Amino acid sequence: MAAMFSQNPLMNGPHYATTDAPKTNDFREHRFYPYTDNGGSTLAISGADFTVMAGDTRHTSGYSINSRMEPKLFKIGGTTADQHDATIVLSVCGFAADGNALRDQLDTICKIYRYRHGKAMSANACAKRLSTILYGKRFFPYYVHAMLGGIDEEGKGVVYSYDPVGSYERETCRAAGAAGSLIMPFLDNQVNFKNQYAPGSGVGHNLQERERRPLLLNEVETVVKDAFDGAAERHIEVGDSLQLLILTKDGIEEKFLPLKKD
Amino acid sequence: MTIDGIHVDMNRLKKGEVNLGTSIMAVTFKDGVILGADSRTTTGAYIANRVTDKLTRVHDTIWCCRSGSAADTQAVADIVQYQLGLFSMHSGKPPMTQTAASIFQEICYANKDQLSAGLIIAGWDERFGGQVYQIPLGGSLHKQPYAISGSGSTYIYGYCDANWKEGMEEEEAVDFVKNSLREAIKWDGSSGGVIRMVVLTKEGADRHLYLPDTNYAERHTENVSL
Amino acid sequence: MPGFDFSNYNRNAALHAQGMPLPKATSTGTTIVGCIFDGGVVIAADTRATSGPIVADKNCEKLHYIAPQIWCAGAGTAADTEFTTALISSQLELHAMSTGRKPRVVTCMTMLKQHLFRYQGHIGAYLVVAGVDPTGTHLFTVHAHGSTDKLPYVTMGSGSLAAMSVFESKWKAELTQEEAVELASQAILAGIWNDLGSGSNVDVAVITPEKTTLKRNLIKPNEKVPKQQSYKFARGTTAVLNEKIIKKSEIGRYVSVQEVPLESDKMEVDS
Repeated sequence: MAAMFSQNPLMNGPHYATTDAPKTNDFREHRFYPYTDNGGSTLAISGADFTVMAGDTRHTSGYSINSRMEPKLFKIGGTTADQHDATIVLSVCGFAADGNALRDQLDTICKIYRYRHGKAMSANACAKRLSTILYGKRFFPYYVHAMLGGIDEEGKGVVYSYDPVGSYERETCRAAGAAGSLIMPFLDNQVNFKNQYAPGSGVGHNLQERERRPLLLNEVETVVKDAFDGAAERHIEVGDSLQLLILTKDGIEEKFLPLKKD
Repeated sequence: MTIDGIHVDMNRLKKGEVNLGTSIMAVTFKDGVILGADSRTTTGAYIANRVTDKLTRVHDTIWCCRSGSAADTQAVADIVQYQLGLFSMHSGKPPMTQTAASIFQEICYANKDQLSAGLIIAGWDERFGGQVYQIPLGGSLHKQPYAISGSGSTYIYGYCDANWKEGMEEEEAVDFVKNSLREAIKWDGSSGGVIRMVVLTKEGADRHLYLPDTNYAERHTENVSL
Repeated sequence: MPGFDFSNYNRNAALHAQGMPLPKATSTGTTIVGCIFDGGVVIAADTRATSGPIVADKNCEKLHYIAPQIWCAGAGTAADTEFTTALISSQLELHAMSTGRKPRVVTCMTMLKQHLFRYQGHIGAYLVVAGVDPTGTHLFTVHAHGSTDKLPYVTMGSGSLAAMSVFESKWKAELTQEEAVELASQAILAGIWNDLGSGSNVDVAVITPEKTTLKRNLIKPNEKVPKQQSYKFARGTTAVLNEKIIKKSEIGRYVSVQEVPLESDKMEVDS
């Protein structure tokens, strides 16, 4: 602050001993930090013959909103720019610029695969390839929590979820991003029926767990909408719009639903 | 204090503190003294107040220009105003500018580790007429024919040195202050807004206000004390 | 002993040095505003309280009572705004009783700034002080470090830039009461939509020489959307491993009992 009053070199020099004051352990490190967190959340649920992927469309930095309509879900590996015949969806949450770069890279690889082999990439092949891409940047990672959704070779819905350096796993259900920790327990309870028992089926430890069954498409859509409405209520980085992608053997249907905008 | 206990860390302003980036000055002239200031208060890059009054009354014809931390300078000015009020009631006559400057210095020097306050004290009294004192960061006291301070002052050392004259007429002195501050505002990003002035003479205090809307050309009288 | 208790200071400093993070205080990352009109002053606030990125309270009150005709809008650390305004309110009431005069806004502002300056910004209270007293209508801002500003329209908090953009484009001299309430509400709404630290509803307080009107939740633009389905569980869904019944007549053995009339405010739960 001294400079605020006396940028005059004469005053800084002889009058005050600031410039020649010994400075120990008082280093300030300036360096380029290439990552930012753009907030938002994504969610994917696989069903018997479908996969639902969802994400809010708010793009933030700090306390500011950069955009209210910046989708985090991308169709991958179609033959055209509008991806009308795509069969795979990539969702990315975290640093949006890395997400876009990852999407472009994976899409290009899928298109090259189609050109070379004359057929679209299968979901599990694409999943393995995505893992390889992420690990390729092991020491300068894409700062994203990625998820891949599709239909497997048996016609079942699949969801793969990744950490930023390529560790991945096939899952029935996953919530990621800012409100991932808020949504995931709700999913455990409503999709996998965790902590639910069949009333009157026994006493104490003999009580039977509620029978598990795959959810129907309309049930999944309901749970997803409620999950995001709840997340938008309690997490400041979630809101504006909900992007829903429904993958079936007939293709991908895309929907946008309104969320809270405050 | 830093490790050696001698050198003072002056590169600090408490985190998130409101700061008067500031161009301030005070000049003596034939009949008294004129204080002048810009009106910008900043917190980081944000202008928290664009019509700040940095010219503060501590007695009827003793005023100060504040620069540095807004909180620190307001606190110091409040204490001095109280002390001078008490002093004049005890003695039954108005205090001298020198007395005010001395009280300011005492506070600024005793608390130099904790304060970031750059002050100019200017006043008119029956015995010595118009006088200007400057108290920079460490708490020293300098009597000067005119004083400039704040981040914007660096741009006008040459201008003021070349154009200041001993014993100017009031109108001439007002123009000198105004033109100096216009340059400081023009070149310093931390200074801006309106130009405020206070003319201290035998007649008392007279406030001036000049707006950038009219290129600081006209004197405005509305909402002067805002 | 009056004042703060510093007895854990050294322990906490040692813990912090070993890498333990400081406890996260609830912050009202807030939009608050104030605006003078012909015949009074209006202050307004949003109602979101946050703890990091999580909404801690969706409908908190940021308009604090100081005196009947002096009110305060608070931003910053929730506890600090709450306790600082309560403390000054108390001192001001005693002061008013001992002088036999109505409390003044400048008195309140001076007490606040001197209290905050003493604590060198460690008390994180950022306040908009407004009121009407025998000397007229007044509006101030007080920063945590103890500096004050006097302006015809003011904003503070993380949404202050969004709110100030509304004032700087729409404010005019000589506003009516209705116009001032509308302008202040619009400024708060700008914060609610564009600042992530602000949200939910708009609270407004109008102070005139005659009376103070607190308009709690004047605008509610963020009502919760109804759930798509019911999440009510069938009785018996949660496993009961152990059951022990304590009769009401014997409950006094376990806890101290005080009869309170209920029904008035039930806890809000999802159906």
